[in-house]
Formats: sequence, C-alpha cells, structure tokens
Amino acid sequence: MLELSNLTLAEGPVAHLDDVTVSFRKGRLTTLLGRTGAGKTTLMRAIAGLAEPDRGRIALDGKDWSRLASWQRPVAMVTQQFINYPHLSVLDNVAFPLVRRKVPQDKAREAARDMLGRVGLGTMIDRRPSQLSGGQQQRVAIARALVKKAPVVLLDEPFVNLDYKLREGLREELVDLLKAERETIVIYASTDPREALQMGDDVILMAEGRAIQSGEPQNVYARPGTTRAAEVVSDPPINLIEMEVSGGQLRLDRLADLPARALGRDLPAGRYTLGLRAHSIRQGGDLSARVSLTEVSGSETVTHLQAAGQALVMLERTVTNHALGTTITLSLDLGEALVFDAQGRLIEKEPVHG
Amino acid sequence: MYRQKYIFLLPGLLVLVAIILFPLLFTIRVSFSSWDVYNPGLNWIGGENYARLWEDARYWEALTRLSVLTVGTVLLQYTLGFALALLVWRDIAARRFFRVLFLVPMMTTPVVMSVIWRTIFHESLGPLNPILDAIGIGAQPWLSQAGHAFAAVMIVEVWQWTPFMFLLLLAGLLSLPNEPFLAARIDGAGPIRTFLSVTFPMMGAISVGAILIRLIEASKLMETVYVLTSGGPGTSTETTSYYIYIRGMRDFQIGYSASLSLTYLIVMSVALTLIAKALIRLMVKDRT
Repeated sequence: MLELSNLTLAEGPVAHLDDVTVSFRKGRLTTLLGRTGAGKTTLMRAIAGLAEPDRGRIALDGKDWSRLASWQRPVAMVTQQFINYPHLSVLDNVAFPLVRRKVPQDKAREAARDMLGRVGLGTMIDRRPSQLSGGQQQRVAIARALVKKAPVVLLDEPFVNLDYKLREGLREELVDLLKAERETIVIYASTDPREALQMGDDVILMAEGRAIQSGEPQNVYARPGTTRAAEVVSDPPINLIEMEVSGGQLRLDRLADLPARALGRDLPAGRYTLGLRAHSIRQGGDLSARVSLTEVSGSETVTHLQAAGQALVMLERTVTNHALGTTITLSLDLGEALVFDAQGRLIEKEPVHG
Repeated sequence: MYRQKYIFLLPGLLVLVAIILFPLLFTIRVSFSSWDVYNPGLNWIGGENYARLWEDARYWEALTRLSVLTVGTVLLQYTLGFALALLVWRDIAARRFFRVLFLVPMMTTPVVMSVIWRTIFHESLGPLNPILDAIGIGAQPWLSQAGHAFAAVMIVEVWQWTPFMFLLLLAGLLSLPNEPFLAARIDGAGPIRTFLSVTFPMMGAISVGAILIRLIEASKLMETVYVLTSGGPGTSTETTSYYIYIRGMRDFQIGYSASLSLTYLIVMSVALTLIAKALIRLMVKDRT
C-alpha cells in the first residue's frame, strides 16, 4: 500500500498540497479527480520525487521514501505532454529504463519490443518519436512506463492532449493493459468526472490542494460529502440551490415554494443547499427559464438557463437545440436531490452504516 | 529582362573575385616562381618550390607539432568548456556573474593576453614560479625548455579559447528541451547516466560544430607563439603559420612561402574534412 500522510507543499501563500492524507491499494486503479489547479499533478510529482513537499510522509509498504531521490523511486510516470527521448529510436526509448537497471541490452530490447507490440507499435520500432503522431508518441511513453514493471504507475492526464476518439480508444487499451498488473498501484489523474467514474476502482476527489473525499466511484458520486465534492464529481455541473425550510414549506431561493414533503424526508427548519443534478431538471412544468447557452454533445444536450437570477443546468438525453434567449418551462425532480446543511455538508437521506 | 537579374549579382561577385579568387590564384602562380629578395617577380621555376618543401623537415615538424597542439588544446577546451557550461547551466549561486567571468579571456586581444602570460611565465620575475615554489612543486623553466614552452603555449590557448567553447556549449545546453531530462529522472537515471545517455548525445551536433570551429581557428595558431616564445626555444614551439611567416616575411622567400601556404591549405582542408566526418559518425548517433 502506498500511504501519503499530511503531505503539504506551498509556494508562498499558494498551497499546492494542503495536508493530504490518502492511501492507494495494490492491484487497483485510483483516480485523482479534480479541476485544473486542484493539486493532482503536484501530488503525482511529489510521489515521483519531482516536487519536494514541505512536510509529510510518503511510504510504500511502510518504507519511507522521503530520503529517496526521484531516480531511486520505483515509480513509472506518464505526463500530459508526450515525453520521450528525441534522439533515440522508439525501441531504445522503451528499452531505456531497463538498460538503466543494467538489464542486458538484448533482453531489454526484447522486453521493449514485446511491450511495443502490446501497445500497437510493433511495426514502428525503428522510428524516432518525432516521426510519430501524438497518439503514437503517447503510446511510446506508456510502453516505457509499463515495461519497467514499477510497483507504482502514475498517469497524469495522459490523454488530455489527444482528440476525443483517440482518447476513448487509448483509455480502453490502457485499462486492458493494466488489468494484467495485479500487484501494481495505478494512480490516474483526470479532470473529467465521467472518465474517473468509468475507469477507477477507487476515486479521490481533490480541490484547492486538499483530498476532500475518497472511496468507490459510485458511492462518491451518489453521496458527495460536501457541496465542493458534489461540484467536482458532477458533469454536467450540479445545480446548487439555496433553500429554506420553515413551517412545512420548502422555499427554493428565487425559484419556487414547495411543500416540505416534496423532498421525501423531514428536515428541521433552517437553511440548506439543494444539490440537483442536471438530469433532474426536465423541460415542461411551472418554472420559467431563459436559455443562455446550449451545448449539443453526441446524443445529449446540456442547456444553461437563467431562472429568476438563479443559474441552472439541464441535461436532456436527446438532441434539442434550444434557441438562445428563448424562454422554456421546467420542472424539478427532487427524487434524487442531495441536501447539504448550512456548512455545505451532505445530510444523508438514510443513515449509512460501515 | 530575364538576364538583367545577373547585374545585381555583379557587386558581390566582384568582391568575391577581389578578396578570395584573385589572391588564391595569384598565390598559386607565385608558388611556381622564384620570387625572393634577390629575384623579385614571377619567374617561372616549375615545381622546384614543392620539391624543396617535400624535403623540408622543419616544415613537416611544424605541421606535426601544430596538429598535436590543435587537437590537444581543442580537446582540453571542449572538456573544460563543457564542464563549465554544465556548472552554470542549472541554478547555482551567482550564475550570471560566473557566466560573464568565464567570457573575459575571450574578449581580451590575443597579443595583449600573450604579453600578460609571458610576464606570468617569466622564470625569475613572473608570479607563477614563486607560487609553484610555495606549494612544493618548484620553479619551472617555462619558456626556456622545449617541453615546458610547448605546455605554456597550450595553457595560454586553452585559457583563451575555453570561454568560446563554454559559450557555444552553454547555448546548446540552454536550447535542449526539458522533457527528456524529466523522463530520465522518472526512468530512474541518476546524474551520470542522464549525462551519458541524454545530455551528451543530445549535444552531439552542437559539439561537433563547436569542435570544428575551434579546430579551424586553432590550426591557424600564430600570435600566441609569436609573442610568447617566438617559436623557441629552438624550433620547439614553431607552428606552420609561424614558419611560413618566417620564410615569407623574415627571409622574404615569397615564392617558397606561397608553396608552403598552399600545401598547408590543402593538408588542413583534407584533414579537417576527415575529422568532421569522423566526429559526426562518432557523436551524432543513437546512444542508449
């Protein structure tokens, strides 16, 4: 198990890592999910020894890594940029980490050739990285990372600079490749909640340099612990609506007054935040809203709306091109709504044990 | 209309003819003449000067000496220049100060610098021997013994031209992309392996360029020898250029010195071409 305890790294007043304590299990793919600047890359760089934390501890199976230089750590890493050795052939690029470990040249090349075959570059071993496409260059980097058989593999948004289709394909290939590595700890950073939820065995949500929640993806998605976690894990963005419960009434600020039982649970009087996922807003109903943006993606439509000064996002599983500036009517399905207290903490619908 | 464009080439062509082609052709003609202090003019004597040159042991010794001096000093300049460039490449304290400091020797006029070094090497009045004495090495006959004088010329050449090498190699290092170094760290390569497998091979092309420029320049070595040792003691530090100068300007054997110069030009052109090919094969290739 790879354990990070109280990892802190600040640059002046900016905290890149703020007291991060998390652990990663062997044979599992853990996704670090967070927006740009959340601290995912810094965390990976700290694990790889490329960034030095101000305090905290990194240990693999109880062995402290604090005194190990980056090149002494048993880590493989693939970054957002396609990082290869421009002066070496594709084959020698992949063989490099083995040659470094004094594996005989012929054996290193044999292992590299085998790995390149697995990533679909078996016919391109004599080329230079600059003679390959972006996707192929990143495959070389992935092959170089995997050929080491390092116990910790760090994948820092490896497909972010590739086009959508290629990204999908490579992601599936990578998951297949990693299935064979049963003893490996794989950490995958992503800004895309869908990717994180599909790929990861575990997910860690990051925001402002902190690890704000961790667990199995479906659990984290279904029960984000805070409004911040709900924002990080939701795509399209979750609708956070301020509300007040008093005298049997549920008052959604600027939007609607509903009977308190509309939420399907009893809440004491007070102020709350309602978390309503985009698919819980539907067209047709009593609420009027003006269309401010429509995004059609594949077979889905995400519509950004303004309703009495409250920004809302609606997801429809069809292609509907709502004209900009038109007014449409909406209804809110509160069946799956999340409720957060005044401090932004999730109020569980039913007590969760264990 | 179409032909008028050649008129625009004319000024450049004239300059080329005046400063390169004419002197070269004139030198070839002079090398077949007996032009000296007694018989000035272009009296045709066929290949006599070349036959004499073939038998001139002093000329061939000077050429051999120059080769050793050139290759030796350039190798030292390359090694030291690379080491210094590596030193100030990454963040070290007062990096800018050192970058400027290392360039001072290159900015000094060779003759002025040689005069200063002659003073430093002076066996009884110079500051070097007392220092060597104080640290137990003892005073050395810097300019009065053949081996020492040769070493003195090498020291001065290395001192003056290492900064040039440093400058070119530092520019090369600064232009290297960062990513391969990051990859090497992640791939577990320590500093020495990173240098051997990443830095050095990636610097191959610029290294070859820098070495060739210095070899060409060093093969014309003249001022340092003229001021520091005057080719002595005996002829122990005499280089080809200096010998040609003696024959041409001191003995006024213009025809003979022209043949020496042309032979020297041909030998150097062939040698440097072969060296360039060897260096490219050696340094600009794949390494793992």
